[in-house]
Amino acid sequence: MIFNYLGNFALLFCLIISLVIFITSIKSLNNKNFFLKKSLNELLFLKFFFAILSFSSLIILFIISEFSNETVLNNSHISKPLFYKISGTWGNHEGSLLLWLLVLTFFTFFYFLNSKNRPTDERLLTIMFQEVIILGFLFFLLKASNPFNIIYPVPKEGLGLNPILQDPLLAIHPPVLYLGYVTTSIVFSSSLAGLIKGNINNLWAKDIKKWVFISWTFLTLGILLGSIWAYYELGWGGFWFWDPVENISLMPWLSLTALVHCVLALEKRSILHSWTVILSIITFTLGICGTFLVRSGILNSVHTFANDPERGLYILFFLFFLIFLSVFIYFIFEDKFKLNNKNLNVFTKESSIILNNWFVMYFLSVILIGTIYPIFLEVLSNEKISVGPPFFNKLIIPFLIPFLIFMSIGPNLKWIKNNHFTKKLKLILIFILSIILSALVSKFFGNATLNITILLAASFYLFFITIKDLIKKGFKNYSQTISHFGFSLLVLSILLNSIFSNEVTSNMRVGDEIKFYDKIIKLQKLENTTEANFLKLIAYFKIEEKNKTELVLEPEIRIYDKPVTITSEAAIKTDILKDRFLVINLVKENEYLNVRYQEKPFMLWIWISAIIISLGGIINIFKKNE
Amino acid sequence: MKTKIIIYIIFLFFTLYNYSFSYDLKLENKINKNLRCLICQGQSIYDSQSDFAESMKLVVKKKIESGMSEEEIYSFFKIQYGEWILYDPQFNTKNFALWLLPILVFLVGGIIILKKFGVSKKRL
Repeated sequence: MIFNYLGNFALLFCLIISLVIFITSIKSLNNKNFFLKKSLNELLFLKFFFAILSFSSLIILFIISEFSNETVLNNSHISKPLFYKISGTWGNHEGSLLLWLLVLTFFTFFYFLNSKNRPTDERLLTIMFQEVIILGFLFFLLKASNPFNIIYPVPKEGLGLNPILQDPLLAIHPPVLYLGYVTTSIVFSSSLAGLIKGNINNLWAKDIKKWVFISWTFLTLGILLGSIWAYYELGWGGFWFWDPVENISLMPWLSLTALVHCVLALEKRSILHSWTVILSIITFTLGICGTFLVRSGILNSVHTFANDPERGLYILFFLFFLIFLSVFIYFIFEDKFKLNNKNLNVFTKESSIILNNWFVMYFLSVILIGTIYPIFLEVLSNEKISVGPPFFNKLIIPFLIPFLIFMSIGPNLKWIKNNHFTKKLKLILIFILSIILSALVSKFFGNATLNITILLAASFYLFFITIKDLIKKGFKNYSQTISHFGFSLLVLSILLNSIFSNEVTSNMRVGDEIKFYDKIIKLQKLENTTEANFLKLIAYFKIEEKNKTELVLEPEIRIYDKPVTITSEAAIKTDILKDRFLVINLVKENEYLNVRYQEKPFMLWIWISAIIISLGGIINIFKKNE
Repeated sequence: MKTKIIIYIIFLFFTLYNYSFSYDLKLENKINKNLRCLICQGQSIYDSQSDFAESMKLVVKKKIESGMSEEEIYSFFKIQYGEWILYDPQFNTKNFALWLLPILVFLVGGIIILKKFGVSKKRL
């Protein structure tokens, strides 16, 4: 009970301290003598401390199953395993916002400690903008989604956590994603501060670069985790559904990807000043916009376990406030950019970075329009349409092909100067090799269409070029080359996976057999067991292959009691070359099981390549600035 | 040289683009992937395991066996459940902006880049 009050008052203290910091930073701006660096440090730490206090109180409430707390009541119950009691803290709306706030206060504090080489004015302004964001979240937490609402009389048992969220990956997926989102707020605030002070230049870019890479890396990993979870928990073997909520996490990632490149151009060549600021604003507002669309329940998606229209209204208001504020500041201080419009040469690194930004912004617009167009159409004409994978494939794949080719050539170019391809022959040879290879792959092993074949050729090209660069350059620009290599591997794995996937679906009883190419799939027996908070039905399948060892797969069906939900746990056998994926489902009469067996090549490589992509980001974070 | 190759490829690609899109998957799976499971949250009937999706899959199978074309099957479902059920939005008076807006963004982006940097004519 005490923790309810502790948590609530910690939040209130956060609010007060945040206001104090806000006022202090404004006063210090006008009066340099007022600036007491140490005290601001302490205040920021104090705020962070109270955020920790509040968050730990909520964790404790979840651990001790204190059902006088509304959040705990709605999202937990006594028989749930301890691990999921803890992870349930941020598996719901209120808790996840509190986590967001915690991360936000931490990074604000961390920024202040690590920005001593920046001008004092700029740091103060950055902190001021951070406080605006933090205050927005605090008001939202306290007014519309307080995690510490008390219920009386105290219920005996909670309502339980949605079983599909009871998963180890889902325990770390939101925090990782939030780390990514929240760090974009630093980039946002710092770019606004730099804009006001006229500090947007190559030195600023050099310092903010780290934050951009931190954010980008966390977002990449966060999206990867969500995708792996969707693969084994949600679907029948899909890992990306072009679901609105997935799209929403991809949008800030795309604009961050553009920012990662454009901040480099700003650092090395002092170009794209205003574009960098605009991208920083876009990235952060897309993050908030995502929160709005997810929480408001406007979107129809697999993630609709978390929504509330009233909360949506608040976030919408906050979103418009932030957009208005940043656009206002942008146009007032726009003339502070020290612009020098340079004529660019064609075959240079900077022009390929501009190309990158052009294409990435296009991909972003496809996803943005594809996600929000149905909402507008429904409001305006009351007609519902669905925008699904075919739409995105059609609009993205044709542009992905030149994108991959530019991505191969771009890093081989130099800054400033036109350099004629000295290794022209090699590049063309690799290109021809890639085309032949992809033609062979699609002709003899799969039934790929022309567009897929060309895309395959383009990704083979990037693949070979990046390998060549890795070997040749040694360790000069390895973070970039590794990320590009990872990207080519990602596209390759996804393509090969979609070309070579095979499957069989059937209804089976115990003792039944089905044939799948040269394999025989046998349902041997069924077994019922009772776990802590669910009933488990395990099916034992044996897969016999000629001249090979047998494989046993054990998919499950789980029947959770609080709330009553049936989930299918797929049995997945992962190999270097392919995944064997078996999932069962109850058929109404219960005598038969609906069985789907899939062989999905290169699944593992999709995850590995995403890790390689983020590895490039990690290397860049720890790389010393030259 | 390089740029010419790229231009040729892009050209080749666009001309054969729509033509090539029609036969990539087994027809049944392709249709299943394009139909929304109406009782699930954002999954196609191919990806779903609900009773609704299962019975829909049977309907699709029967329709294919009875010799209906892909388009006919789509319009059958569209009449029954509305356009909401199709994942691949059709290009019509309501949806043309959906298809054209991204392309417009791309073109405008290109124009802005050309104007801002006055890139020399050597590019592409």
